[in-house]
Amino acid sequence: MLTFIIRRLIILIPTAIVVSFLIYLALDLTPGDAVSHMISPERTADPAKLAELRQKLGLDAPLVVRYWIWITGVLQGDFGYTMTGGAPISSVLASRLPATLELSGAALVLSTIIGSILGTLSALKRGSATDNILTVVGMIGVSIPEFFFGLVAIMVFALQLQWLPVGGRLLPSYSSYWDHIPNLVMPALVLSIMMTAGVMRYARSSMLDAMGREFIKTARSKGLPEWRVNLLHGFRVALTPVIVLVGFRLPMLIGGSMIVEQVFQWPGLGNLFVTSVSNKDLPVVMTVALLSVMVVLVVSLLIDVLTAVIDPRVRLGT
Amino acid sequence: MAILDIFNRRSRLDRQFDELRRREEAGELHSVSRSRVVRKFLNNRLAVLGLVVFSIILLASIFAPLLTPWDPSKVNLRAMMQEPSLDHWFGTDKTGRDVFARVLYGGRISILVGLGSALVSAAIGVLIGCYTGYVGGWLDAIALRVSEAIMAFPEIILVLMLVTIIGQSLFNLMAIFILGGWCGIYRLTRAQMLSLREEEYVLSLRSFGLNRALICYKHMLPNALGPVMVNITLSTAAFILQEAGLSFLGLGVPFSTPTWGNILNAAQNLSVLQDNWWMWLPVGLFISLFVLSVNFIGDGLRDASDPMQQG
Amino acid sequence: MSDVALSVRDLKTFFYTNQRCNKAVNGLSFDIKKGKTLCVVGESGCGKSVTAAAIMQLLPRLSRIESGSIVYHSDQGDIHIEQLARNGAKMRAIRGAEISMIFQDPMTALNPVFTIGAQIAENLLYHSALRGRHLRDKVIDLLRTMGIPLPERRIRDYPHQFSGGMRQRAMIAMAMACNPKILIADEPTTALDVTIQAQIFELMVNLKREHGTAIMLITHDMGVVAELADDVAVMYMGNIVEAGTAEEVLRHPVHPYTRALLASIPILGRGRNQVIDAIPGSTPDPFDRPPGCQFAPRCQHRVAACETMPAETYTSPTHRMMCWRYEELAANGA
Repeated sequence: MLTFIIRRLIILIPTAIVVSFLIYLALDLTPGDAVSHMISPERTADPAKLAELRQKLGLDAPLVVRYWIWITGVLQGDFGYTMTGGAPISSVLASRLPATLELSGAALVLSTIIGSILGTLSALKRGSATDNILTVVGMIGVSIPEFFFGLVAIMVFALQLQWLPVGGRLLPSYSSYWDHIPNLVMPALVLSIMMTAGVMRYARSSMLDAMGREFIKTARSKGLPEWRVNLLHGFRVALTPVIVLVGFRLPMLIGGSMIVEQVFQWPGLGNLFVTSVSNKDLPVVMTVALLSVMVVLVVSLLIDVLTAVIDPRVRLGT
Repeated sequence: MAILDIFNRRSRLDRQFDELRRREEAGELHSVSRSRVVRKFLNNRLAVLGLVVFSIILLASIFAPLLTPWDPSKVNLRAMMQEPSLDHWFGTDKTGRDVFARVLYGGRISILVGLGSALVSAAIGVLIGCYTGYVGGWLDAIALRVSEAIMAFPEIILVLMLVTIIGQSLFNLMAIFILGGWCGIYRLTRAQMLSLREEEYVLSLRSFGLNRALICYKHMLPNALGPVMVNITLSTAAFILQEAGLSFLGLGVPFSTPTWGNILNAAQNLSVLQDNWWMWLPVGLFISLFVLSVNFIGDGLRDASDPMQQG
Repeated sequence: MSDVALSVRDLKTFFYTNQRCNKAVNGLSFDIKKGKTLCVVGESGCGKSVTAAAIMQLLPRLSRIESGSIVYHSDQGDIHIEQLARNGAKMRAIRGAEISMIFQDPMTALNPVFTIGAQIAENLLYHSALRGRHLRDKVIDLLRTMGIPLPERRIRDYPHQFSGGMRQRAMIAMAMACNPKILIADEPTTALDVTIQAQIFELMVNLKREHGTAIMLITHDMGVVAELADDVAVMYMGNIVEAGTAEEVLRHPVHPYTRALLASIPILGRGRNQVIDAIPGSTPDPFDRPPGCQFAPRCQHRVAACETMPAETYTSPTHRMMCWRYEELAANGA
C-alpha cells in the first residue's frame, strides 16, 4: 500500500510544480507592480526603503529566482499580502476556510449519499415509473443553473414562507455555534443539486452494469435473498466507479461554491475569490487558484487510495 | 381482465410478453432495416422533445427582429419596471428596456458562446487527439502533460483567473472557454485512437504505406466520432450554464451586450427578487429549458449510439 | 419413478428482446436420473443454456417459461418449479442446497471483490446452521476435497489470484457445499486447457460416485460426451432431436443431425488428411425458422414430409428421436 501511495505522489509532484509555475508566470506577466505584494504594506510606504527592500529580498532578480522565493514562501504558509487593504493573505484565507469547508462538506456528503441511494433505486427498478421519474428529475437537476435555483429557493423559502434566513452565516445575533445551521440548509442543498444529479445518473449506470454481470447469476444460483444479491454483490461492485466519479467531480463542487456563496452571501473562499476578481486583486486570485489546484490534486490521490482499499484488483496491481 | 391478471399473478411485463407473442405468431413483426441509430433516437420521446424545444428557442433567437418590435438596448425611462402587458410581453427592466426583446437577443449571445465554444474546442481537441493519439512519441507526451496541467484547475477558477488577467469581453470569454474546453475531447479522442490503433484495418493500412495523417484523420476518426458528438452536446450545456453563472456575477460578458446570464444579474437585489419577478424568472426558465433540451438530445444520442444497450 | 431426480415435460421458454418473440426452447422433455450424468449436446444457440437457466429459474428479465412443467422429485415430495416465484423463498431454498449450478467462465462468474472463502461460506450461511469456526473449517475442507493445495491460506485469496483450473474447482466447491442432489454444469471446461479439462471431469466423476449427485452436463464437445455421459440428449434449435443412453446415441445414432455431429469430429491418430464431413449450411435465423423440422434445410435425407414437425418416436424404451425417416435410418446403421 505504501509503495502505491509513493508511486502516485511521484506522478503528482511534477504536475503541481508546473501548475504553480504557470500561475506565478501569469501573476508576473500582468501589468502592474506585482512584486510589491510580497512585502508587507507597512514597509513599502517609503519609496527609497521600498527599493532597498526589494533588492535585499532579491525581488529584482530574474523570473526563476523570484518564482523560487515565492514558492518557498508559499510552502511555509506565507502567501503575501492583498492588494486591497494589505492584510496578510494567509489570515484572510484562514478566516474564510471554515465556512467553505462547512458548505462543501455538507454538500459532498449529501450528494454522495442521496445520489447513490436514488441511483441504485433507479437501477433496481429499471423501466418502472420510479426509474423514469428519477431520470427526468435528475436531468432537470443538471439543467437548471445553480444560481437560478438559489434565487427561486430564496424567494420561496426565505421571502414568501419565511422559514429560513435569506443569507449570511454567523450573524451577530447568534450565540451558539448551532444557531447558524438554518443558514446552512439552503446553500448546502442548492450546491449539492448538480452533484447529486450527476452521482445519481452514474450510480444508476454503474449499478445496471454490475447487475448484468455473471457473478450476479452465480449469487442467485446459491439461493441468496434478493437484498443480499443487490446490496452485497451488486452495489458493492458498483461502488468503485461511483467513488471515482465523486472524486473527479470535486472540482465542480469548488466551482459551484463560488456562485452559491455569492447568492447566499456565504462568507467563504468562493465569495472571496469572486470579490477579488471583481477588484482585480491579483495576489488573492492567484493564491486561491493555486490552493484549489492543490486541493484537487490531493483529493484525486486520496480517491486513488480509497479505491485501492475498496477494490482488491486495484490494490494488487491487476 | 386486469383483475383476473392479479389473480393469476401476471405482471405488466407478462402482459407485454403476451402481446408480443401474439403479434409474432400472427407474422406482424419484422426486424427493422432502417439505420438503428436514427430509429432508436426517434423512439426516444424525450430526445425528440428536446430537439423540438431546442429548435424553437434557437430559431426564436435568430429571428428575434421578426418576433419583437423592441430594441433590446433602447432605454425608456418613462416605462421602468413595468409588469408584463400586451405591449411588453415580459415587462420592462429598471431602465425601461423590453425584457422579452432582451431575452431573445440575449439568447443569440448565450447560444453563440455555448455552442460556438463547444464546437471549436471539440474541433481542436479532435484534431490534436487524433494525430498525437495515433502517432504517440514526444508530441503525445507534451500534449498530454499540457492537458493534465489545465485539467488540474477547477474550470471556473481557471476561467476567472484568466478573466482577471486578460479582461472581460465576449471574445475573451469564448477564447478562455475554448482553452479550458479542448482537453476533455482531446483525452476522449486520444483514448479512442489508442484502442483503435491496434485494430487490424489500421495495421493493413500501414502496411500499404499510407501517410500517417491520412490514416488517422480519414480512416480512424469516423469510428471515434460517436462519443465526441455526445460530448459536444454536453459541453454546450455546460458552457451555457457557465456563461450564465459568470455573467450573473458580473464577470462574464460585459453588461453592454445582453446575455441570459447578465439579465439575471438584476435579481441579486432582494427587492427585485421579491417584487419584480418578470425581470428574472422568465430568463431563468429559458436557460433551464434550453439546457434541458440540449441534455435530452445528448442523452438520446448516447442511448442511440451505444451498441451495448439492451432492448 | 423413484430413480428420477428431475423431470421436464414439454418445456417452452420464449425470449422477448428487441421487441420480438424468440421461441428459444419449444417443447422439451427429458429426465435427470439420480446418480447419473445426462449430457445435453448441441451447437451454440440451440437452447441448452436456456434450459439450464429455466430449471434454476434464473432466466433473464425479458424472458419467461411459457408453458410445460419442471418437476423436482425431492425428499419432501414433488415440487413444480415452473410454478414457483422466481426469487421466492421456496425457490431460493432449492437453489444452492438441492440444485446447484456451475458456469462456463469462473473468472466472470465469481465476484471479484470478495475472497473465495467468503463466497463459498455464503452458500453455507444460507443453507446450513454452520457458523464461526465450524463454517470456516467446512470451507477449508471443501477446498481440500476439490484438490486445491494449502486451502487454509487460499480461502483468503481473491478470484483473480487463482489459476483457471483452480478457479473452476473453487466454483465446484461452492456449488457442492451443501451436497445438492442435482448439479448443473454449463460448459464448465470450455474456457480451460484440455489437460485441466480432464482433471475437472475426473473430479466430477468422483463427486457423482461419492455423493450420488445427478449431473446435467451441457456441452458442445462430443468427446466429453463419450467420456462422461450415462444419458445423452441432442438439441437443435430448441428441440431434443435425439435422446437415449450414451451407448445407444453414440453407437447407433439415428437422427441425421446426430450422425452429422459425430462424423464431423476429427479423430486423433487418423492423420492430417482425414476427411472431416462438415455439416453444410448454418443454423437458421431464430426469427425466420423453417416450418417443420428445423434441421430439414441442411439434411441430406429430407423429404416433403419434413415440412411438418416430426413426432417423437422410440426405437427402444430409452432411445427416442424426432425424424420421419427414423425406421429406415435406424435400419441402415451408423
